[in-house]
Amino acid sequence: MADVEMTTSASDNDWVCVTSDDGYSFLVRRKVASASETMRDMLDTDGNYAEAITRTCPVHQRGVIVEKLLEYLSFKAHYETVELKDDIPVNEFLERIPPEIVLELLLVADYQNSALTQPGQVVLPSDYNAA
Amino acid sequence: MASGELPARRGRPKIHGPDVSIEQTWADLANNIREIQNHNAMNLSFEENHRFAYNMVLHKHGEMLYNGVNQLVVENLQHLADSHIIPAFPSGASDETVQSQEAEMLLKALRHIWDDHTSNMVRLGQILKYMDRVYAKSAEVPEIWEAGLNLFLKHIIRPPIKEHLVAAILNQIHFERDGFVVNRSAIKGCVDVFLTLVDANGMTVYKRDLEPALLLESQSFYESEGLKLLQSCDASEYLRRVENQLEQEDSRTHHYLSHNTAPALRQILQDHLLTAHLNAVLSMENSGLDTMIDLNKTSDTARLYRLFTTVPTGLPCLKRALKDSIRRRGEVINQASSGIDGDGEKPVKSRPTSGAQTLALALKWVQDVLDLKDLFDKIWQEAFFCDRELESTLNEAFGSFINQNGRSSEFISLFIDDHLKRGLKGKTDIEVDIVLDKTITVFRYITEKDVFERYYKGHLAKRLLLGRSVSDDAEQGMLAKLKVECGYQFTQKLEGMFHDMKISEDTMKAYRVHLSQTMAPRIDISVIVMTSTFWPMAHSDSPCTLPSEMVTASKSFEQFYLSRHTGRRLTWQPSLGNADVRVAFKTGKHDLNVATFALVILLLFENQEADEFLTYEEIKQATSIADNELQRHLQSLACAKFKILKKHPQGREVNPTDSFSFNADFTSNLQKIKISTISSKVESGEERKETKDRIDEERKHQTEACIVRIMKSRKHMTHTDLVGEVIRQLGSRFQPNPLNIKKRIEGLIEREYLERCEDRKSYNYLVGFLT
Repeated sequence: MADVEMTTSASDNDWVCVTSDDGYSFLVRRKVASASETMRDMLDTDGNYAEAITRTCPVHQRGVIVEKLLEYLSFKAHYETVELKDDIPVNEFLERIPPEIVLELLLVADYQNSALTQPGQVVLPSDYNAA
Repeated sequence: MASGELPARRGRPKIHGPDVSIEQTWADLANNIREIQNHNAMNLSFEENHRFAYNMVLHKHGEMLYNGVNQLVVENLQHLADSHIIPAFPSGASDETVQSQEAEMLLKALRHIWDDHTSNMVRLGQILKYMDRVYAKSAEVPEIWEAGLNLFLKHIIRPPIKEHLVAAILNQIHFERDGFVVNRSAIKGCVDVFLTLVDANGMTVYKRDLEPALLLESQSFYESEGLKLLQSCDASEYLRRVENQLEQEDSRTHHYLSHNTAPALRQILQDHLLTAHLNAVLSMENSGLDTMIDLNKTSDTARLYRLFTTVPTGLPCLKRALKDSIRRRGEVINQASSGIDGDGEKPVKSRPTSGAQTLALALKWVQDVLDLKDLFDKIWQEAFFCDRELESTLNEAFGSFINQNGRSSEFISLFIDDHLKRGLKGKTDIEVDIVLDKTITVFRYITEKDVFERYYKGHLAKRLLLGRSVSDDAEQGMLAKLKVECGYQFTQKLEGMFHDMKISEDTMKAYRVHLSQTMAPRIDISVIVMTSTFWPMAHSDSPCTLPSEMVTASKSFEQFYLSRHTGRRLTWQPSLGNADVRVAFKTGKHDLNVATFALVILLLFENQEADEFLTYEEIKQATSIADNELQRHLQSLACAKFKILKKHPQGREVNPTDSFSFNADFTSNLQKIKISTISSKVESGEERKETKDRIDEERKHQTEACIVRIMKSRKHMTHTDLVGEVIRQLGSRFQPNPLNIKKRIEGLIEREYLERCEDRKSYNYLVGFLT
């Protein structure tokens, strides 16, 4: 996904930094970060908060949680344009979530407001809520 | 920020309870919001503020947060109003320019605080998204962005700010309408705000507060503007201004007002600038419709049409004015030709020139009508964009004034006659064709086509008999045109005339052959045999004693003809013929071409001495030509350009007491001389009466024939239906009068073609049952 050159919108394609509480930082495309509404607003140049200027989004979680969050956001950004929900390998993704971080992941998902908006709405937060 | 240093793994404690008090969180957040409102967002952490709001909502303090934020927004709005709007209130200056500048300032100020407010609200919306998502939904309160709009509406768009804003916008519009330049973007800025803000009833502020005021203001403005323009401008200028105003209002609504206002505004303009003053503009002296037509102001007329067609009453008004205009012009043309009527009552023969004069008047009448038609056709095409409705109006108007002139049929026929006779000399065939085509368009307006037919027949007969028609093709062409217009029936007799001419030619050839084999009479004779029903027999009985040579010649032909066609009767019409004669004068011989009657007169002088006289009475006795004919021919021999005879005493008129002698001293440098008979080309009153009687008679027959035709096919019909059908069928020839139709029906009942039914409203066809 990151390899796709998007010359039309450089702002979608530039890199932003996502940091965890325990000192990890992750470089991702802006597009990936923007899959989270909270992070999108955070980086919004119109709002122009400090994060938008430094292009750094702090996520107050452990590194392992942030890593899974970003994995999910990449997953979401990648499949955002897929039209058929059957084509989205949601279950595959779910299998990759270790049970011990599920609770924290649920919280961060709620906070980041990053549910899949696709028809394939096997949305993570609500899924876990139901569980 | 002091609170920026949050403990690590902040996410965990919030589940079990905030590690900082809610009050502290709110205090920090409120502080930050104020900072945002002071444009210091860049120094703030989004994440931190978002988390504040998140925590408050998560810990069930959403209401506190929501109300608190609202409170902060209100405070900020009040601050903005105080610092920006209130100072921009108008100072009450009386100078218009100052007023306008102040209005612009106020509008800009509003836009400024709107921009400020909305960008704040966007930022707040971002950090309060969790509140919108979770709290606002469950508490059923509007999201913060919408709350922001409502607060703006409540705290900024309020008296007296609202009134000042509306006044400022109106001021700017008025200023621009007066022709000054205003800052459109400033107005648009404010109008856009008004369009965005929606009150509790779902109505935009624009619709609720601005539009009614705007329309009211526009109405009074254009009401007085209309009157003002009407007084200060001529019609063309007025229309130009109106069009300009319409365009400007359009551009105004397009550029800085709502397009929804456009129709209403347009309506106001149309009502007050057009509908109210339609007639005033049309009839404006020296510049109204008439003047535009006179001066050929096509673009002005086109504008007039364009504008008038936008309002419902415009077209009827224009139609009326056009009709009046054409009627007026038509009356002028009719009047110019009515000079003939005055002359016509007197015997035309008494004044040799008046024939030519009246002919000229008749030709002028047709030419004037054609010119007028051309003029209006051009206007119709170029200025009225070939509007069908107007076309019928024009036709109606033309028809009415052409038919007002009772002699239009005669004039048109004369005009065609004139063109077919000598028009070809100066003009090409194509040109003549165009003129004749145009004439046909005028002919179309004539309701009494049978009258025209009668005249045309007469004129055609003269052309054919005198060999005056220049080209057979042109004649046939005209006939074809008439056929297209009126159908086969109409031209049947005319074609018969042409047919006769051709047959006669063949007959003459055979006669010549016949003569070469037998004894030829002393003088050569050329005869045209005319079928009596085809040719107009206006000169039916004109007795004349022919000299013996001529009698011999005619008898010879008579014998020949009757031997070929038994059972026919030949009647000689010497009044229609002409003759070539060589006359010896003192200075030499000349070939004269004269009418047959003139030849007969001339032959009386053959054996006379140069100074011998014949009195009028003697001539009359010798020739037994009727008085009026005799006078006419004597006049052409003695009083016209070539004086073959001398009249004693001299003078222009021929009186029964005059005497005549041969003018042997006659000289001319022409070898061949044509003595044209002085004729009244335009009918005299008497002739016209006769023509009219004949036509009436003919119409009687036609009406009766038509009634019988209809009844024969229908057998039974009510009176009204029958009259209607008769009028419809005869309409192509003339406009029958229902009263006359009734008379004819009664006549047919008397003759037992029809019978009245018992209901006394309908008729039965009788002949059909009898046979």
